[in-house]
Order: sequence, then C-alpha cells, then structure tokens
Amino acid sequence: MSIKKFLKDKLYILIPSFFLLIFLSLFFFAFKVDASLLIVTLFLFIALLFFSLIFDYIRKRQFYKTLLTNIEQLDKAYLVLEMINKPTFYEGKLFYQALYTINKSMTENVGAYEEQVRNFKEYIEMWIHEVKLPISSLLLMIHNQKEKIDKKWLKEIKRIEDTVEQVLYYVRSENATKDYLITEVSLDKVIKAVALKNKDYLLENKIDLHVSNVQFKVFTDAKWLEFILNQIVNNSMKYKRENVEAYIKIEAEETNDKITLYILDNGIGIPTSDLPRVFDKSFTGHNGRLKGKATGMGLFIAKKMCKELGHTIEMESQVEKYTKVSITFPKNRFYEVVR
Amino acid sequence: MKKIVIVEDDVGIRTELEQLLRNAGYLPYVLQDFKEATNEIIKQAPDLVLLDIHLPYNNGQIILQNLRKKTNVPIIMVTSKNTECDEVLSMSYGADDYVTKPYNPNILLLRIVAVLKRVGESTLQYKDLDINMQKGVLRKEGKEIVLTKNEMIIFNYLLNHQNKMVTRDELMTALWDSDAYINDNALTVNISRLRQKLKEIGQEDSIETRKGIGYILL
Repeated sequence: MSIKKFLKDKLYILIPSFFLLIFLSLFFFAFKVDASLLIVTLFLFIALLFFSLIFDYIRKRQFYKTLLTNIEQLDKAYLVLEMINKPTFYEGKLFYQALYTINKSMTENVGAYEEQVRNFKEYIEMWIHEVKLPISSLLLMIHNQKEKIDKKWLKEIKRIEDTVEQVLYYVRSENATKDYLITEVSLDKVIKAVALKNKDYLLENKIDLHVSNVQFKVFTDAKWLEFILNQIVNNSMKYKRENVEAYIKIEAEETNDKITLYILDNGIGIPTSDLPRVFDKSFTGHNGRLKGKATGMGLFIAKKMCKELGHTIEMESQVEKYTKVSITFPKNRFYEVVR
Repeated sequence: MKKIVIVEDDVGIRTELEQLLRNAGYLPYVLQDFKEATNEIIKQAPDLVLLDIHLPYNNGQIILQNLRKKTNVPIIMVTSKNTECDEVLSMSYGADDYVTKPYNPNILLLRIVAVLKRVGESTLQYKDLDINMQKGVLRKEGKEIVLTKNEMIIFNYLLNHQNKMVTRDELMTALWDSDAYINDNALTVNISRLRQKLKEIGQEDSIETRKGIGYILL
C-alpha cells in the first residue's frame, strides 16, 4: 500500500481542510485576533488531521499487506481467508464478509462439479467392467467354433478391447484419487502379458519380437505398466516399415541408481519436428495423418501415468530408421534400507 | 477326467466357458446357486475352481477366503476387475492364479494345465520314453536325447493333448507364455527338429501333420 496513493484517495478530506484553514486564517485576521492564537489553532488542527490519517493508514496497511502477500505466496489463492485476521475497520469487515460469501459459494460449486466427475468416473469404470463381459463371451464363442470362424473377427474384437482399455486408463490417470498400487514387479512378466496380447498381430504381420535381458524387478503398478508398454508396442506395430524385416526389440539395462527399459523398432520413425510433441494430448503429427485412425491419446496417457508412478519416459527416433522409447525406473534406496 | 467348478454369474460367458472346458477334456460343473456358494463348491469336490469376483450375495474374494479355510483346492480367479490391488488381494487370500477378462481362451487353458500340474502328480512318460522336464532329456534304455527349451515346450504341450488336434496357434501361445517369442518359421523348424530327435530315439512318425490345421501326437 503506497502512502502517496492513500493520500490521493483522501483528497476529499485534505482539500476541504485546506480551504477551511484559509477561511479560518482570514476570519481570525478580520477580527484582529492575536497571531499566536492563530498559529496554535492551525498547528493543532493540522496535527490532529495528520494523526487520524496516519492511524487510518497503519491499520489498513496491516490488513491489506497480509492479504496481498498471502495471495501471492499461497499455492491455492482461494484459501487466503484462512490466513488473515478479521479486520477492525468497517469497510474491511464488509470486504471480509463479501470474500467469505464468495468463497463459500465457489467451494459449493466446485464440490458439485467434483461430485459430478466422481459419479461419471464411477459410471465409466462400471460400464467398462460390464462391456468386458460380452467381449469375453465373444472371444469364447469364437474359440469354441474356431473351425468356422475367420481370424479377422478376433482382430476387430481386439480393437474394441484396446479402445475400451484406453478409456479406462484415461479415466484412472485423470483422477486425483490414487488408483494404483506400487509393488515389486518382474519386468519379464509384464512384457510377457503384452507380448501375448499382441501375439496374433505380430505373427500375422511378420514382426519379430526379441526380448532379452529383462530379468529385473522394478517398483511400479503391474497393470499400469502393462498398459503403457502396450501403447508403445501398438505404435511400433502400427508404424512398421514395409519391405524390411520388421522387428521390435525389448531389453533392459541396470545402472547404479536406475533400471531402464528400451523398446526399439525399425519402423518408419518420427520426424524431428514432431518428436517434442509426441506426448502431447491429441497430437497425431505426420505419422498420424499418414495412417489415419490415430487419436493422439495413447502416448499422452502413457506419459501421464509414468509421471504419476515416478518413471520417466523418453523417445528418440530417426525417420525411415528406428524409434526407441526408454522408460526409467529409479531404484528405491529407502525401500531397501527399510527391508 | 478332472472336474472344474465354474463360478460365474454372466450366463453368456458361463455357457461358453462350459463348452470350452468340455472341448478341452475337462468335466465342467456350473454353479447355479450363489447363496451357498462355498458349501456348494466343497460338495462338488472339484479338482479346480474358476472363480469370478463380481457375484451376487458374496463377492468372490469372500468366497475365496471361506474356501481356503476348509480346502486346498486350486483356485483361479477370473475377473473383469483389473486393478493391481484386486490381484494382490486375491493372491494373498490364497488364489493360485489370476486371469483378467477378456482373456484369451488358450491362455486360460494353459493356466489351468499349469495350476493342475503344480498341484498334482506328473508322471511323465511317452510310450517307452522317460521324460525329464527340468533337464529337457528323453531317455530310452540308456539312450539319451537332449531337447532345447522350445522343443521341450512343444513336446510337453503335445503330450498333454495326446491323440488330440493341437493347432499351431495353441503351440504358439504355449511358447510365448514361456517367454519364447518365436515366429512362424521358427516354429516349423522347431517341430521338424523335434521330429528328427524323436526319430533318432526310435519314435518315428509320432507327430502327424494336419495340413493347414495343426499337429497330433500319436
């Protein structure tokens, strides 16, 4: 609060007082009152005026200063009311009351939305569990009549399954509630699950899968990691290069403080200009336009989940050569110490 | 014939599951009354239980806990709830395996075989051959043949389905399920090498090819 602006705001008192003093001087002068009386009166008047202004300035400054610095420093500015004392002056009280009412109404409003989002999330999760039942039924039916039914049916069902899965994990990763459980997980187990899921597609499209040196244990949520790897492998399969012997290589490497998992393919690669944005929401880029059917959600969700789990995910690539994704799992020293 | 109790409330899945198990040579029993699930299951004295989590009356994890208080029967949880938490809980309550819907039927069958084998006795013999699974060795009157890991997986799968049609896809699933991510050509090569080795030890023509479908171990 600057004193200059404060005084400028008080001009409506200062200007009349100034004129009052002039009138008073003229008045005293006209009635030939002794000059010393005039000086004492003027001095007293001015002193009292400034005293009351300064008192007003100090108590207001105190209130507004705490208010403003708190707003600036607080991570959530709307919580500021919890940090300040109720002011002692009338306008301040009105102001405080208004803030309180606004805050309350906002909290209620946000609460209603939170409730809505939570209900929606619960419904989606339930719906996904429901929709998995007919998918399971279909898979079993096809298997039971496998002599009569074409494999392409399975392929379409797998597409449904993958899309449904993506929705589920999007909802889970979007939410502030912790839907995961970090345990010690064997990398090879998760890789096996992903491999089996994509076996038919890999074999049919003659993409070789080489998995080596993955006997490591990392701290993660197995289901989440499976989803993340599945997104990456799906991309490798989708953007394979024709006329070369396509492969996907999965291997891991252990260093002092981390374990890194590499997924390398010899696919069409990603243009350098697209690379920084591959993890952005809804970004499809050059390759997406090439093949169509890209939603730009897979890697976005994968990155988000990695962040939540404390892994880092990076991608490097060269057009018409390769794409390499690395996921880093920090080793948890604390856990070892506790054990 | 091994008896398997199916505890599943979705009628569509349960009918298909029953057929799948029957085709695979098991004796399926479908639980109809979920009110007294635990007692019903025990009364059936099954060799294995396929248990869903989401059920009317008691949820599957409670049934699992109740069953474990009374019996050691192998239990595979089959469910559409796929959070890590559910899996860890189920395993800690004593489930033998956990499969999430929608599952690949071949993989479910593999898991059933694996769990049954873990529990039961496995006298491995094929005609006049003694088989050592761990070492991958076939023995006959002092003669010995060493199989590679992949050949052993294939031979073992064929042996478990002796005299039945086995598709290439089933073999592939079994191989990939054992971390052997081989391609179509490699499977063909492995089978011909396995044939060659069996021939060397006096079992010529024991693996028959059904063109375009699969193989039969006679």
